[in-house]
Amino acid sequence: MKMSNSINQEIGTRRDEKYRHIYVVIEHFEGQVVPVSLEMLGEARRLMDDFNQKYQLREKVVAVLLGSDVRKLCDELVTYGADAVIYANHDELKYPRNDIDTRVIVQIAMDAKITKEIEPEYAGTFVKPRYMFFAADNIGRHLSSTVLADLESGLASDINKLVISDLDIRHEHKTKGQTVRYEKILEMYRPDFSGFLWTTILCLDNKNPEIQREYHPQGCSIIPGAFKPIDKDDSRDGTVVEYSPKIDQEPKIKIIKRSVIEKTIDYETCKIVVSMGRGIKDNPEQNIKLIEEFAELLGAEIGITLPLSKKPYQVSQSMDSKYMSPDRVIGTSGSKISPTLYVAIGLSGAVQHIAGMKESEIVISINIDENSPIVDESDIFIKGRMEDVIPKLVEKIKDQMQAISVRST
Amino acid sequence: MEQFDVAIVGGGSAGLSALKKLSDLNKSAILIEAGDKIGTKNVSGGILYSKNDPTGRIFNVEDVFGEDFESSAPIERLIKKYYLHATSGNKIFTMDLTPLHEYKTNFGFSVLLNRLNPWFAERASESAEKQGGGIITGVHVSDIQWIENKTIVRTNELEDFQVKSIIAADGINSEVAEITSARSKFNPEEVYFGVKVIIKLPEKIIEERFHLDSSEGSAHLLAGDITLNHVGGGFLYTNRETLSLGAVYHYNSLLSNPVAPAQLVDELIKNPLVSEYIKDEVPTRGENDDLSKEDQLKVQLSVSKLIKTYNDLRYKYFSKNNGGLIESGRFNNTEEIKSRIDSIKQDLTEKYGTKFVNNYVELEYSAKLIPDGKRCVMKRPYYNNVLFIGDAAGRGIFIGPKIEGINVGIDDAVRASIAVSRSIEKNNFDSDYLGNYFQSMINESPYTRQMIKIDEGYLSLFLDLVKDISFSSANPGFEFGLRMMKNKRFRETALRLANILGYKRILPIIESERAYVKVPMQLADKLGKVVTSSYTPEIPALSERIAKLQYNDDTEPHITVNDKRSEFMKKLILLCPTKCYSLEGKDVMLQHEGCVECGTCSIGTRWRHPKGEKGIRYRYG
Amino acid sequence: MLNVGVIIKLEPDFSEGNVSYNSDGTLNRAETKNILGPHSAIACNAAFYCKVKYGARISIGTMGPPIAESALKQAQVLTDAEELNLYSDRLFAGADTLATAEVLKNGVEKMFGADKMDIVFSGHRASDGETGQTGPQTAWKLGYTFLGNVMDFDIDLDRKVIVAKRLISLQGMDTIIEEIECPLPVFITIDPSYKSAFSTVSQRLGANKYSKQGRKKSENYAQFLKTYDSQKLDLDPKLVGLPGSPTIVYRVERIPRAKTNRKTAIIDPSNPDNLTPVVTKIIEIARGK
Repeated sequence: MKMSNSINQEIGTRRDEKYRHIYVVIEHFEGQVVPVSLEMLGEARRLMDDFNQKYQLREKVVAVLLGSDVRKLCDELVTYGADAVIYANHDELKYPRNDIDTRVIVQIAMDAKITKEIEPEYAGTFVKPRYMFFAADNIGRHLSSTVLADLESGLASDINKLVISDLDIRHEHKTKGQTVRYEKILEMYRPDFSGFLWTTILCLDNKNPEIQREYHPQGCSIIPGAFKPIDKDDSRDGTVVEYSPKIDQEPKIKIIKRSVIEKTIDYETCKIVVSMGRGIKDNPEQNIKLIEEFAELLGAEIGITLPLSKKPYQVSQSMDSKYMSPDRVIGTSGSKISPTLYVAIGLSGAVQHIAGMKESEIVISINIDENSPIVDESDIFIKGRMEDVIPKLVEKIKDQMQAISVRST
Repeated sequence: MEQFDVAIVGGGSAGLSALKKLSDLNKSAILIEAGDKIGTKNVSGGILYSKNDPTGRIFNVEDVFGEDFESSAPIERLIKKYYLHATSGNKIFTMDLTPLHEYKTNFGFSVLLNRLNPWFAERASESAEKQGGGIITGVHVSDIQWIENKTIVRTNELEDFQVKSIIAADGINSEVAEITSARSKFNPEEVYFGVKVIIKLPEKIIEERFHLDSSEGSAHLLAGDITLNHVGGGFLYTNRETLSLGAVYHYNSLLSNPVAPAQLVDELIKNPLVSEYIKDEVPTRGENDDLSKEDQLKVQLSVSKLIKTYNDLRYKYFSKNNGGLIESGRFNNTEEIKSRIDSIKQDLTEKYGTKFVNNYVELEYSAKLIPDGKRCVMKRPYYNNVLFIGDAAGRGIFIGPKIEGINVGIDDAVRASIAVSRSIEKNNFDSDYLGNYFQSMINESPYTRQMIKIDEGYLSLFLDLVKDISFSSANPGFEFGLRMMKNKRFRETALRLANILGYKRILPIIESERAYVKVPMQLADKLGKVVTSSYTPEIPALSERIAKLQYNDDTEPHITVNDKRSEFMKKLILLCPTKCYSLEGKDVMLQHEGCVECGTCSIGTRWRHPKGEKGIRYRYG
Repeated sequence: MLNVGVIIKLEPDFSEGNVSYNSDGTLNRAETKNILGPHSAIACNAAFYCKVKYGARISIGTMGPPIAESALKQAQVLTDAEELNLYSDRLFAGADTLATAEVLKNGVEKMFGADKMDIVFSGHRASDGETGQTGPQTAWKLGYTFLGNVMDFDIDLDRKVIVAKRLISLQGMDTIIEEIECPLPVFITIDPSYKSAFSTVSQRLGANKYSKQGRKKSENYAQFLKTYDSQKLDLDPKLVGLPGSPTIVYRVERIPRAKTNRKTAIIDPSNPDNLTPVVTKIIEIARGK
């Protein structure tokens, strides 16, 4: 309850001065920033630019970065949209650990002094971040929970759309049934379990005098792949500030060993996914080889339909263990993906499958049956047998690629 | 290392009986089963007998599991009628062989092992736990070692442990037999191959269609053109609310005239007699073209739910006491259930375009090798302190239409348990003491006798049953032989002579294409009645059948092909019931994921059961 | 004696043939059966492992309406739990994760007559929307060390220390299995890949015994059930339910599907020239622009 006292002492401070900025908690792995962190920065940048213009303010996108040797990553964060980076270097912060990371992030979030270096004019008034973003992965999802539990504020998880707006709210508890205007509220959109519904979650102060309480930051965790990073801009300026964490107690979690396991297929970061279905049946082995060649040429990952994972056809052991496995299934019972290009080969487009690929930006399908449901889900439908079409495509792609590389040299 | 008195390897009917019996003899035993649950690896044709024999004691299921077996066990139907149908095209000639079924029989129930064996397991583990033993599932015994008088059992899942004796009940593809080299693998001459589908049909429809009283059932055997010229035949047994439809063929006959096992079942399904027996009204999803794409998934789930409710209600409606729907208070009376079913049907038809058509509902496809005891019974069913029982010992009765296995395994189990119990009491597990005693007990079993000698009484009965059929009109060639056999004196002499010659010499004459295919076809053609089917059953493709099976995939194959270019393995491309083999260039390659662990390929491979919990998980068996 | 708690949740059964939707696309809760959530069941398995291997006693807790009793019963079947706790009060309705965590914190503190807990397990997430914040937030409020995505663990009873394997997979990166050590008490969310690894025959026989016992106990589960309202949990009404929730659900809407209305161009590949624009497009994407 220490915190609410300190809030009370700030009476007279404008809210805009108490709660400032979007804090984005960055994740990194083996010296690389995890893509979702850049995606979060991109969305934070877009939101903050609009915000500052709309409200005539100059709040910042602040990246928060913990590690043992992370200074080198800070400049990259600036080029991807951060106005400021607060980083903490400490041996104990080398690998993510929920207990110590939570403490340090809370320290940073509550530290007004450090904000002096970001914007000296508000240093005395800063209390907490206005918004806070985490990644919805198995580090950030837990970290966001414990950080917001400590900051005693609200969190919405697995968000894929964000809007900042002023809202008139009438709520039994929050406003005691009165209509009250809330400003600069983050509308956090969460797709539900079925993927058909969006729930908008708001983190709101209790303005009802009986339970009056302020809830900041408005926190959320963001689904990897939901947003696009901004184009890298090396000319961007940003403040990089080192924070010295107070690690007064030894972290309880001790890491004994970390072992890398073979990378599983990751459709999230794939630009192109080529999927096959039962249409391979006439000559499964040969057709998979064709598809393999085609995918390789495009740098695409290969997906399959659910029926193929049940191994209905005879293919060699190597093909089988590589492709006919449940991890490759695209659809409700497998991965839901949204690549830039989805090529559906010899698959009819069962509803379960379509649910897994309909978010793709461009869909090209190859099928002999022009009445199959996949046709309606396609931007381009090539009517024909895969045995005929793919070799033609492969040949043409090779030709064109060669032509391009000749031109560019 | 942990120590136990007895390890029973394999949780089929025989292993479970051994656990029960040993525990009842106040001995502590543990049973190790590879399947994740008892019953998931077990398949049978479908009839469990209780037998009697004037020549010696038989230990029956009720002796082991209690006199309340009939009233408490999840048995399907008490078989009251036993028919043989000779087929040729759409002509069927039916013989009532019920007396053969009743011969030396206390009772015979149709059973599904995935229901029955868990019940055995419940009873057995209850007794075993009192003795400090029990059942451990999901564990695969991979090796047994004898080090300095210690017998050590090694598994893929648990730490090694030590035992004083082992009862091997690990089935026809016994790995214990291979580990101990107690016997060589069975060759195709010695075994039969069975393939079966479970078909769903409401309880009361079964009773009406087969003219049965409640809880009673019938068995139907088929021979003739449905065999596709193989030695063997088809069977159709009524269960409570399913039918077991399958075919059993001499493996040699399949090797010399290879055909895909699924086709052998398909051939039965296509037979008009069978297709009429299995017929049901089946809801078939309609198309939802007019709906927006995003609604299709939801609609599909809603239709699934509606069809499920419809089926549940309908099957209950057609069950004894309406499946408890009225007792539970969900409905007030039968009419109410009926009108609810009708209204769902109407909804499905009108709102979702669902059609209700004549077809049949297949639940599970399965396959199994069956030991032909008269050819492959283990002469010395033990090794060191390991005793072999049931299928693992090649013990099964196979005489014409008479196929018995579960009851033989139960009888063996009791004998092994008594032998082991005696060894525990005397703390003597030497093979001279334990093994010899077990051998002598096994030799006393009337079942053992039937595996060595023709049961003259059975054969006489058979001949009496068919004597009035006017074979002459079917095939004049039979006339003479049959007339001779009708003569009691001559018959006795002939049978004695046959027994002197021994099974080995006379089998090729009895178990021939002529007996299983030609004669039945001639009978059907000449004497049969035309049967027509009112619909064409939609037979699922093998891939659909496999897709319906449940597996817990093992990433590593449990089978390795010995010679990828052998003629035998090339035949397996067709003969493997789930098409696990294919030709790649000149090599026969394995794709083990669809394997149902029947062991058909065992002789040409290094064949192991999958690791604990892995592989096929039958739901009916 | 090791004291183990499990936080579970009653959830709609989403499996095909059981789930039902309203015409507006929302879940039809009346027609859909509720079951012990699959992730909760995995947490129960982990607790059961502690019972078999370390002789732990188990207390199960859930926040929900009275029907959540059925989840407690199912959890007792899986764990042979000594104690079942239902945290149920009208005041809890509408709670977000922070307000839920507040209730669960006080609930855990009351387990086994307010004895000290050593481990509390909860599921990885719920299948009906809760996305895995409740566990870590409860842990933080309790002051227990939080361990997420635990796939395997072993406890050193003398040192009161847990050694655990955790799964870490980050977008686009290699998956890591991290082995960590941590003093008790800990709050663990169990990874969906968890499987109890009993390693000896005796443990397996023990598991049989307890699971039979659990089935038997669950037939009279009411005997083991304690129901707590906000008063019994010593909760401040301002910190629970809607008043104690920083977040509200503002709006529920269908996600618009602009992309599904694709205009399909049908191409006849018999004339290879028709494929040229397709190939151009493919290459454009493959090259990243």
